[in-house]
Amino acid sequence: MPTALILGIDGQDGSYLAEWLLGKGYRVVGWTPQNIAVSLSNVAQILEHLTLTSGDLRDFDGLRECLARYQPDEIYHLASPSSPYKSWQATVEVGDIAGLGTARLLEAVRRETPNARFYQASSSELFGDPSEVPQNENTPFRPRNPYGISKLYAHWMTVRYRQHYGLFAVSGILYNHESPRRGMDFVTRKITHTAAQIKLGMAQELRLGNLDARRDWGYAGDYIVAMWQMLQQPEAEDFVIGTGVTHSVRQFCELAFSALGLDYRDFVVQDEQFFRKEDTAQLVADARKAREKLGWRPKVGFESLVHMMVMHDLRILTSPETR
Amino acid sequence: MKKALITGITGQDGSYLAELLLSKGYEVHGLIRRASTFNTSRIDHIYRDPHNGEQVKLYLHYGDMANTGHLVDLIYSLQPDEVYHLAAQSHVRVSFDMPEYTGDITGLGTLRLLEAIRKSGVKARFYQASSSEMFGSAPAPQNETTPFMPQSPYAAAKLFAYWITRNYRQGYGIFACNGILFNHESPRRGETFVTRKITRALASILAGKQNKLYLGNLEAKRDWGYAPDYVAAMWKMLQYDRPDDFVIGTGEAHSVREFLDEAFGYVGLDWHDYVEIDPRYFRPTEVDFLLADATKASRELDWQPRVYFKDLVRVMVDADMERMGLVPPGEGRRILEKHHGNWHRWEDQAVSMER
Repeated sequence: MPTALILGIDGQDGSYLAEWLLGKGYRVVGWTPQNIAVSLSNVAQILEHLTLTSGDLRDFDGLRECLARYQPDEIYHLASPSSPYKSWQATVEVGDIAGLGTARLLEAVRRETPNARFYQASSSELFGDPSEVPQNENTPFRPRNPYGISKLYAHWMTVRYRQHYGLFAVSGILYNHESPRRGMDFVTRKITHTAAQIKLGMAQELRLGNLDARRDWGYAGDYIVAMWQMLQQPEAEDFVIGTGVTHSVRQFCELAFSALGLDYRDFVVQDEQFFRKEDTAQLVADARKAREKLGWRPKVGFESLVHMMVMHDLRILTSPETR
Repeated sequence: MKKALITGITGQDGSYLAELLLSKGYEVHGLIRRASTFNTSRIDHIYRDPHNGEQVKLYLHYGDMANTGHLVDLIYSLQPDEVYHLAAQSHVRVSFDMPEYTGDITGLGTLRLLEAIRKSGVKARFYQASSSEMFGSAPAPQNETTPFMPQSPYAAAKLFAYWITRNYRQGYGIFACNGILFNHESPRRGETFVTRKITRALASILAGKQNKLYLGNLEAKRDWGYAPDYVAAMWKMLQYDRPDDFVIGTGEAHSVREFLDEAFGYVGLDWHDYVEIDPRYFRPTEVDFLLADATKASRELDWQPRVYFKDLVRVMVDADMERMGLVPPGEGRRILEKHHGNWHRWEDQAVSMER
């Protein structure tokens, strides 16, 4: 039975990936960051099948010990502060954890488990303010916030450990991917959760930033399959993963509210305080390489994704246990 | 009187920059690491130089690039007008043995310093020592719009620092500049760098103390300039009317083999009689061809190199010979007197070399 180590098991991607790998017969070791309040609600249903451990990406020796103890065959490095916008508030910490933390982990892998396959969770934030649209694996990187810069450093270190030290290390450059397990501070989840609250009379309005901001949004459950597929390839390579289609925040709202029989225009207020300097209009994936080499395609379309998220929020808000 | 803070002041660039700024009347503060051994040989002569007057306005402070709080206090108490961040783990090959340390000092260290400037509220202008190594395998010639393809942990760390510098400029309005400097050498170059390794060994050979020189890849091509010219570019960037990024180089690329031709030829020797190839010195991922297109610096900063490849080799060979107690052919002194001679003088060369 192969062993997979997932760093960031508590997050959206970590929990879907754990379910997928358990289904494939893996022993799954889940790693969470120490010293941070972590909710295991995303993995509550599979908790008994997981081996849990915790650590600190600033602690090189601790990372080595973790690898030595569990001897993973596959390592999925999904642990990172995940919000580009919040990264301005703790720049050094983000650099130390998301950037240097990956370098420490790669070095620990090289020392302890050099035959393990390593997946680095890269992000479309690497492209930032992109020089071409859509973006593929050869598009130059232009990060524009400390999160993107730290992730870019982690990406290049992953490439270096592959090309120089010979690790099977890949970087998956994933565009926005959402799900009912998305954190509440992300715009998609904020919309579906608040829409459901409005439907139930628990909220009156939804304040958002620029409604015309566009994103390439996919379903997280599809994206974790691509992660796994990358580690099953004969050669380690980097891949861009996304739908190739963008939608606006307005379109997201329209679908979310209409799924509840509501008109978003009656509830959504555009609030300047949520406007961001960084416009992501140009971030669109060209995932042709993943399609051709991995046979990967997104299965859940935009409408189904929004619908799934709204219905989930409606259900948890009306369920007696979670109320 | 302007006040400057230089990190990495004991290094090649830091020492030349300190000399330049002192000659311009700056009060210069240098940050040095607290360590059981540290080498101030490159700046010791500054205190003895009569050109600097009775009172040399050069002050050293212990500092730690790994501690943001300490840096905030230092910057707040000094209130510098200009900060030149030259401190780094600067050796490419060493970065393969110490990737995390390199990332911490070279990458995150820059972020700590920028964060310290921001937190202190001091309106200092900031210079980041970016490197042509960031271009890596990108096709030559490289300019400010060339996409980066870093090939070493050192280059990845420098690239992190480059983007963070741009970010703090754009996000916080700090006057922060990247000087993307191509290789720049001098008699003060550390002896593990190939140019200095060659001129030092050549002097030893001439003195009869050595008869073999072991080198790695002779075909790697670099754009080699003269460090004192490059520190002048750093200063110009911080005097410009807006913060920006600039490529600095000579626009000529030469191989290690050509460096050997020039150096040994200058003293009438054939390097083939002394040089042996040792694969251990091959870099793990070799960056093959770095060549600067410094058009922007020429146009906007009115910067040009004064010392090119052949003259650079002569300056370095002469200085290493003098240091070894030999009488050099002397072209190096003439070159400096012709092109510099003001703040940068021949007399300061041999005495300030790494021992």
